[in-house]
Amino acid sequence: MERFFELLIAAVLLAGLYSTMAYGLGLIYGVLRIVNLNHGGMIMAGAYAGWYLHHALGIDPYVSLLLVTAVAFGVGIVIYRGLVHRLPRGAAGGVQSLLLLFGVWLIVRNVAYLLFTGNDQTLRTSYSTKAIAVGGALLSVNRIAVFGVAVAILAILHLVLTRTYVGKAIRAVAQNPDSCTLVGIPVERIYALTFGLGTGLAAAAGLLGSTLFPFNPSFGAAELLKSFVVVVLGGLGSVAGTAIAALILALVEVFAILVIPAYLTAAVGFVLLVLVLVVRPGGLFGQRVLG
Amino acid sequence: MRTTPFVSVLCAVTFAACKPSNQQQAPGQGSAPAASAPSASEILIGATLPLTGAESRIGGFFKEGYELAFEQATQNGGVSVGGKKLPVRLMLLDDTSAQATAASLADRLINSDKVNFLLGTYATNLVEAQSVVAEQNAIPYVNGGGAATAIYKRGYKWVFGLLAPVELLAESMMKWIDAEQQAGRIPKPATIALLWENTSHGKDFRKGVTDFANKGGNYKVAVDESFELNGKDFSALLGQVKAARADLFLADAHLPDYITMQRQFVTAGLCNKVISYGARGSEKQAAEALGKKNVEYVISAVWWSPLLADKNPLAKKFVDAFKAKYAGRLPEWYQALGFETARALFTAIEQAGSLDKKAVREKLVAMKVPSLLPGGALTFPAEFGQQSHAPFVVQQNLPDGSAPLIAPPDAATAKGIAPNPNCK
Repeated sequence: MERFFELLIAAVLLAGLYSTMAYGLGLIYGVLRIVNLNHGGMIMAGAYAGWYLHHALGIDPYVSLLLVTAVAFGVGIVIYRGLVHRLPRGAAGGVQSLLLLFGVWLIVRNVAYLLFTGNDQTLRTSYSTKAIAVGGALLSVNRIAVFGVAVAILAILHLVLTRTYVGKAIRAVAQNPDSCTLVGIPVERIYALTFGLGTGLAAAAGLLGSTLFPFNPSFGAAELLKSFVVVVLGGLGSVAGTAIAALILALVEVFAILVIPAYLTAAVGFVLLVLVLVVRPGGLFGQRVLG
Repeated sequence: MRTTPFVSVLCAVTFAACKPSNQQQAPGQGSAPAASAPSASEILIGATLPLTGAESRIGGFFKEGYELAFEQATQNGGVSVGGKKLPVRLMLLDDTSAQATAASLADRLINSDKVNFLLGTYATNLVEAQSVVAEQNAIPYVNGGGAATAIYKRGYKWVFGLLAPVELLAESMMKWIDAEQQAGRIPKPATIALLWENTSHGKDFRKGVTDFANKGGNYKVAVDESFELNGKDFSALLGQVKAARADLFLADAHLPDYITMQRQFVTAGLCNKVISYGARGSEKQAAEALGKKNVEYVISAVWWSPLLADKNPLAKKFVDAFKAKYAGRLPEWYQALGFETARALFTAIEQAGSLDKKAVREKLVAMKVPSLLPGGALTFPAEFGQQSHAPFVVQQNLPDGSAPLIAPPDAATAKGIAPNPNCK
């Protein structure tokens, strides 16, 4: 029973990390119908930003979280205005956007190689190895904090999307951009805002990840894949679905160790993805219009 | 259906994730311009190293070792070939830590740049891919970066390895543990939690530990699990270790996984009488990432240590030369192996007295020369597929930040401590 409890807690905390990684990707696809391949690049950039602010200025990563997210939000808007905006809207720009954003990712990664070399970096704080006891199990303070941030992002996103004018506009644009233009919603501004928000969330995820693992400029590739799995499982465009899918994926991966060798657990998520696509192609929670 | 385009890129991204992480080369580390075919007036030696990408840090260390060896050869007037000193030139390319690039660049070096001989790259997977090209082209390939026995079990004639097998690493460590057990400081029988990365490196480590453990009945492997490289969450795996209440925690991991796993190990409140991550343990970077306290008493077995300079004149000569060239910095085993790899090839060329590939290969096969490696001699035994079986040195992190050698007895500079005093 103790072992079951420990695995359950491990899965819940892991879900926190997975969901933070996936929110930004899901949000951008849900509204712009663009697969942001630069999501991995921004995860890596967020990790370096958090590390640099801590390393050079001594700023705690959880303090710099808002700053990094805000700067990445601005970067996202610049990428949208400067590049993505020029592509055909919606599905018509699909392939071009893939190539474009993949190119941006490569540039971001190579800039990181030039600036920081390929060496692994780690972000160490005074609480990096601290733990608190919960029901007999010791839980990492860092992992609990990451989980807390994941829940906070979920709550804030939900509130913004359902209770604010901007949020309602984002949902409306996700549903039917042409009609939105007719009723005076500034669709391009909403697109830019959403792209910025998704980029900011990716950087936030990277910063949180940097408190847990070593990273280098190739960081973000595996995280992008994991984000894909979570977003597709949850149903594209569903924020709550993303969080629940992250929990399901984490539960499956963690408990799989009871029945299969540990090295195969990483593949379990992809098996689950294939099964969901065959049985329920719209994702476990279907297609939603955000919220 | 919205999902379809989303999923259609999944494979593309999967592929992209595996692509060379970087084609860019740092200044001074770039590929040399394509050379003209070498004349008999010089010896052109080709090599690739992972100067960018995941293994770039260690690739840079090997580069330092290669460069020092070439610099020394040049200072000596070149390499003696049939009584005449010929200048020796290194053509070094960046394989970007990618297998395909390592193999194709080796092919380019041999067939386009017409190098006389090849020095190897670093990391088992890269050496594995590159050595095939050397074998196909029948060119001596001497490497100090591939330890997995799988490389040398293929019956290749042109591939020579200076890194002793990881099985031997595990055995060296187990021998020290065994001595501690005989002295009554470790329980008999002792239970082992064995975690290994799912690579040929990890498999060799596992084999070394289990072969030793199964010999005398003094050990019981309670956990035997592998994990994927660059793991993010080891909590389920460490839960098994905790449940097993093992005496010995023996893992085989690369540096990033060592840092991630040890951080989770400490956070979970685990403590074992002996803790090891195979060849990892004493790295300064790990102590910085985890805190000195959290890596105390970790033992590791490595192919070489600068502490060997106290007992081995060649090691001392190398350490002094390295410190002189690199502003007093101490070399790690990577630089030493890079240096010794180049030196082994130079020695074989000198012994052959010609640039004939077959003649140099024969001298490598028969090589038995004094070495800076533990044991003090370098050979490429045919029975082990021309892979060196130089012994490992076992070291242990101490609270003062030092990592003295604790085994084998003839190399030890301090006495190892077991059981781990930090376990209450």
